[in-house]
Amino acid sequence: MTTQVLNRIPAFLIAFTLLASGCNPPGKPTPPQTSGRPEAVTDFNVLYAAHCAGCHGTDGTLGPAPPLNDPLFLKIVPDTELVRVVTEGRAGTSMAAFDQKKGGPLTTAQVKVLAEGLKTKWGKPGGPTDVPGYLLTPGGNVEDGAMMFAMACASCHGDKGQGGKSGELRVGAINDPAFLALSSNQVLRRFIITGRPDLGMPNFTEKTNRPHNFSTLTAKDVADLTSLLNSWRSPATK
Amino acid sequence: MKRILKAVATSVGGWFEARLRLKPAVMPILEHPIPAGAAGPKGWWYVFGSASMTLLFLQIATGIGLALVYVPSADQAYQSLEYLNYRQPFGWFLRSLHYWSGSGMVVMVVIHMTQVFLHGAYKYPRELTWIFGVLLLLLTLGMAFTGQVLRWDADAYWGVGVGASMAGRVPVAGPGIVELLIGGPTIGASTLSRFFALHVFIIPGLLITLVGGHLWLVLSRGISEPPVPGEPVDPKTYDAKYHEELKKGKPFLGDAMTKDAFFSALVVLVVVTLAAVIGPKGPGGLPDPTLTAANPRPDWPFLWLFGLLSLSPAGLETFVMLAFPVVLVICLLLVPFVSNRGERAPSRRPVAVLIVLVGGTTLAVLTYEGMTSPWSPKMGAWSGDTIPTAIVKRATPLELQGAAAFQNKDCRNCHALDGVGGRRGPDLSTVGTRLTRDQLIDQINNGTPGGGNMPAYGKHVRPAEMDAMVAFLMSLRPPGQPPAKVALVPAPTAAP
Ligand code: HEC
Ligand code: HEC
Ligand code: HEC
Repeated sequence: MTTQVLNRIPAFLIAFTLLASGCNPPGKPTPPQTSGRPEAVTDFNVLYAAHCAGCHGTDGTLGPAPPLNDPLFLKIVPDTELVRVVTEGRAGTSMAAFDQKKGGPLTTAQVKVLAEGLKTKWGKPGGPTDVPGYLLTPGGNVEDGAMMFAMACASCHGDKGQGGKSGELRVGAINDPAFLALSSNQVLRRFIITGRPDLGMPNFTEKTNRPHNFSTLTAKDVADLTSLLNSWRSPATK
Repeated sequence: MKRILKAVATSVGGWFEARLRLKPAVMPILEHPIPAGAAGPKGWWYVFGSASMTLLFLQIATGIGLALVYVPSADQAYQSLEYLNYRQPFGWFLRSLHYWSGSGMVVMVVIHMTQVFLHGAYKYPRELTWIFGVLLLLLTLGMAFTGQVLRWDADAYWGVGVGASMAGRVPVAGPGIVELLIGGPTIGASTLSRFFALHVFIIPGLLITLVGGHLWLVLSRGISEPPVPGEPVDPKTYDAKYHEELKKGKPFLGDAMTKDAFFSALVVLVVVTLAAVIGPKGPGGLPDPTLTAANPRPDWPFLWLFGLLSLSPAGLETFVMLAFPVVLVICLLLVPFVSNRGERAPSRRPVAVLIVLVGGTTLAVLTYEGMTSPWSPKMGAWSGDTIPTAIVKRATPLELQGAAAFQNKDCRNCHALDGVGGRRGPDLSTVGTRLTRDQLIDQINNGTPGGGNMPAYGKHVRPAEMDAMVAFLMSLRPPGQPPAKVALVPAPTAAP
């Protein structure tokens, strides 16, 4: 090796450095772009998988939270209620607010994509008719509710809601104060109407494991039953 | 033309030399003889130290450039880096060079030490040179760590957090050290000033001083001759033998220096290429005390420690964090005392070769683990990772609410179920067989006693949520297996 090589090294290095930094090499950072950022995602499936599947289940069923992939639920729930729930969550329950304005991770546009997408993706025409309304109604009679409970629910949940059996299936208690404290009356009403098809609880009109003389629940029955469950709450959370 | 230039250079040089009289001091250094073997083809083994130093110079130069623009204040540091990245011409390249040359320096120092270790060059009479080298390694890592903090993004925040929690575990002095390091009980505005001072004054000062000492030792005791199997080092005879060897030696200025220069240039070339092609690191997400956005990780020189932490059982974490690095450094420092004589050739030192192989593989594996392991929480798990459907199918309404609360309280970000979810804490799929109701309540209320690994949820969980979550956790057992009745593990003691 000769000093000649050595002598050229600095010149070569300087030239190379200038070359490397002068043009637009791949390493030159560009200011962060908005595409690809989390706020830019507007695909229902992507958003659902990242933000909702954890509680509502991969395909909208069999999660710990109420199933969203339930045509009967989607048939009766008003669009405005869907937007409202996803935006601000349900106070006192594990359903969190998802809109950034309420401290959540999603933009208003993304909340809209999710709320509107539910019906497009999982809604189905048909199904039972004369379904009682989704939203809570005022009134409701606890005594009538108790009578209805014996007819419509006790066969699985036990006469006081303490839990029981449905065929081979163990059915859990629904009079548990902690369970009730974490459930809104709205969701209780919803379960009375829609049941939990994914877990084997019948809806307002199905007769599965119910007495022979069971007949479809009316709007009054649903309101009475909701009042009954509400009356089981421990006084602090009523 | 060339001749005129040369004449000018000679006369200007002569003018200065007549007054400075540098030649008698510098020439012996440049022309000092080195063992003939080290000047031949084996001389390529000797280039890593000088390459480390070349990168150090590059670090000083680019570092000064960065310091002209960087603002070491918590509210402006990030902006000044963005300014460098996007607006200052060549600013991004300066940052990029500083990052890649710093990384290269760590690599070179490690390679240099490995070579010295394999060739037994630390043996008599160069024990002190090795010790200086170990200290230089530590200072280089110190520069890497403090430098990463100056980026003042989420990674930096996390790095300081882990560093502080490490320091905080030191018995007795812990809180004091933390206070000194981060300038208060919590990471804040003065933390950045502390790390800035460390990164540009304190550590570089020490580093340059020790480099001077290291070089002095290299010159005064000479570089080691390439090892020859069957020629062991014996402190009694070594000096005389080395002296003989030098009589046949070659001057450093010449072949050896050319090799050094050539290799250094190559290294710089690689650094410049990486800097241009891959670009600067970060700054990543803005620092956020609640760590809600990214999955922060320390820079690569510390990933192995991160990986080790992720693999170590919770009970060993304090040991791993505190004692392990200290033990490692002590081992390194002891190397020349444990074996300062005997064979130097790697072919006759199978244990040394084995240590390098095992150590290198371990570091690589741990680094990989650190790169991939979610030691830090997996931020999206609470809303994205589903509860296994088998669990949902057999759950009671209360347990369902518990599962929803479990997700809602971010537990999932640290705890997996059936292997899915964060892995900061243990997988809880069978926790119902391990912990009793009281233990579960205690764990959730108090978290990890003393803080750190699992937050204490006492104030953030309502009684109903606690009931539901505990019911859910108790139900997490393989079918047919009864819940834990007596404590299988001692109940965690409550935080003081
Ligand atoms: C941490 C768990 C969790 C996550 C994540 C979650 N939910 Fe919920 N969600 C719940 C719970 C629990 C309820 C029932 C609340 C109640 O008691 O009214 C609920 C209720 C709802 C309801 C009303 C259902 C009804 O029967 O009235 C809608 C709609 C809904 N969630 C949509 C979403 C969407 C969309 C997302 C994703 C952006 C989401 N949820 C994410 C737990 C969650
Ligand atoms: C055929 C049996 C059956 C009948 C009849 C029945 N349920 Fe259920 N119910 C279930 C099953 C199964 C579950 C799922 C939870 C479990 O397995 O413990 C459930 C769950 C519930 C839940 C909790 C849902 C959740 O996801 O948190 C409520 C509330 C409930 N039932 C109310 C009622 C009421 C009110 C009635 C009467 C109108 C009723 N159920 C009738 C079987 C039944
Ligand atoms: C920041 C991460 C993190 C979060 C969030 C977290 N944990 Fe933990 N958890 C840990 C770690 C780490 C351990 C290991 C033991 C320790 O260090 O205390 C642990 C241990 C546990 C244990 C004991 C497991 C065993 O096998 O001994 C339970 C139970 C537990 N956590 C439940 C929860 C619940 C419930 C939540 C949510 C309310 C939660 N954790 C949130 C990190 C976390």
